[in-house]
Amino acid sequence: MASAVIEVDDLVKVYSGGTRAVDGITFRIEPGELFGFLGPNGAGKTTTIRILATLLRATSGRARLAGFDVETQAADVRRSLGLAMQTPTLDAFATGRENIELIGRLHRVRGAELKRRADELLELMGLTDVARKLAGTYSGGMRRRLDLACALVHRPQVLILDEPTEGLDPQSRLALWEELERISRDGTTMLLTTHYMEEADRLCRRLAIIDNGRIVIEGSPAELKAGVGADTLILQLDARDPEDLARQQDDVRRVLIGFESMEALTPEGFGVSLAVRDAGRAIPELMRRLDRNGAGVHVVGLKIGQPSLDDVFLKYTGRRIRSEAANEPIILGW
Amino acid sequence: MISAFFYESFYLGLRTLRRFFRVPANWIGIILFPLIQLFVFSQLFKDIIQLPGFRASGSGSYLAYLAPGQIAFTAFFAVAWSGSAILVEYRNGYMDKLRATPIHRLSILAGELAPLFIESAIMAGGILVLSVILGASINTGVVGALLILVLSGLFGMAWAGTSFVPALLTKSEQATGTLSLLFFPVAFMSTAFVPPSLMPAWLQTVNAWNPITFLIEAIRPLMVSGYDWGAIGKALLAIGVMGAVLQTATLWAFRRLTA
Repeated sequence: MASAVIEVDDLVKVYSGGTRAVDGITFRIEPGELFGFLGPNGAGKTTTIRILATLLRATSGRARLAGFDVETQAADVRRSLGLAMQTPTLDAFATGRENIELIGRLHRVRGAELKRRADELLELMGLTDVARKLAGTYSGGMRRRLDLACALVHRPQVLILDEPTEGLDPQSRLALWEELERISRDGTTMLLTTHYMEEADRLCRRLAIIDNGRIVIEGSPAELKAGVGADTLILQLDARDPEDLARQQDDVRRVLIGFESMEALTPEGFGVSLAVRDAGRAIPELMRRLDRNGAGVHVVGLKIGQPSLDDVFLKYTGRRIRSEAANEPIILGW
Repeated sequence: MISAFFYESFYLGLRTLRRFFRVPANWIGIILFPLIQLFVFSQLFKDIIQLPGFRASGSGSYLAYLAPGQIAFTAFFAVAWSGSAILVEYRNGYMDKLRATPIHRLSILAGELAPLFIESAIMAGGILVLSVILGASINTGVVGALLILVLSGLFGMAWAGTSFVPALLTKSEQATGTLSLLFFPVAFMSTAFVPPSLMPAWLQTVNAWNPITFLIEAIRPLMVSGYDWGAIGKALLAIGVMGAVLQTATLWAFRRLTA
């Protein structure tokens, strides 16, 4: 088992203010894996990444990257690592090519090899046409791609990406996903954090849901979704006003007493959402019950949804991820 | 180890220079104020040169007296806000990007400080050229001019600590800018405008310790008379002591910030 590229054991980080940002995290990433950290902002994802990237000292616990200890062998860790943080960090007064070449030089990529590598990455990221323009003039998507190119210039064994598509429009996001999949296919081990469900679902072969500094569940997206068990069944109701809607929702609840396949019923603005095991088979029985006893219930739509990572997150943390997102603390100087 | 440090500092320093010279506002802002003082004061106070204290300095005109002071001012201005740049990159995460590469941590600081020698020297050189155009002369010729640039560059590099220390300690651009202003009186109390013999006693005492005065008094003979190695030696000593104190503090503040 010594082959893991990233090995984290009972990692804890307590900031000087007393905040336990990381509270005993353990995981391992095998060579070539694309592993995701899914969790709301403030969950401890970035702190974990900063410890792995040797930018922050852990309070306790152990972390190894490419076989090197992040605390005692920081230089070796840095040589093996490509890093792109949450907001692209570029030298705005340097051109795209200069940005890539500086990071390359610091990684001791030199001479003709450096030039070739820069050409290759500019081409790969679709930045060849703007290679001689200052990075400060780039659009958000271009900055992301240039940042990624910088992280890849020394062909790192491990690529760590913090929220790689944060702030991108859907089109650029899709393009970046394809790029990341390609890099992963080439054998680079990747750790990425995200609070986008679709992103984790699409990219990560394995992921850990992290909340309040702890990993609450870990597995492949399919496993995690299967673990939720029930499908989501959405009943759209035609109601005149909120009171009418509430009455109909109560009726549905009453009608479904004793309906065995149902695990949960949640009133929603559009009607009700049901968690139902094997929803396809349960629908006839559901309709029969509504037909027989649901005279005041006006169903205008019925939709079956497979469980999403959203449901997985809800199940293990009791919250939805969306409502928690984007509440970054503001850091004040003096 | 040492060669790695120079390699890293060299490329990081090139980047710092690029960052400085690619924004014209940087160098226009630095040169403009000394230039205006040189241009306006040399005419406004033209006849002040008749006062006895000025003759002793060897200057034939007030412009000739004023020019060395404005060259020193330029070196002073060139680094007055130099700490802000490293602060911006600390905040926006670029410093983290550099720290995550396999380089010596101090290369990042050296890559910021070393280029200030070139920035200050070139800026001071700009004012030197402009003052010659306005009518000042350089009695020691090209060698003396180069010596002036070296002194200005060294001064700038050493003085930069007055901006780096507050920047690294407060982590606030605003505080850094405000604290930099506190050092302006030091420049204005120097012998840039008036020789010490015409100053009140307390100001003479201040100038016995004012590093900017030592720089000005080393530059002035190079322009108006000849090599005054005593003055040059004193200036180098003042710059050396000031640099040692300020840059030790900078180093300490930098280590504290990036710990």
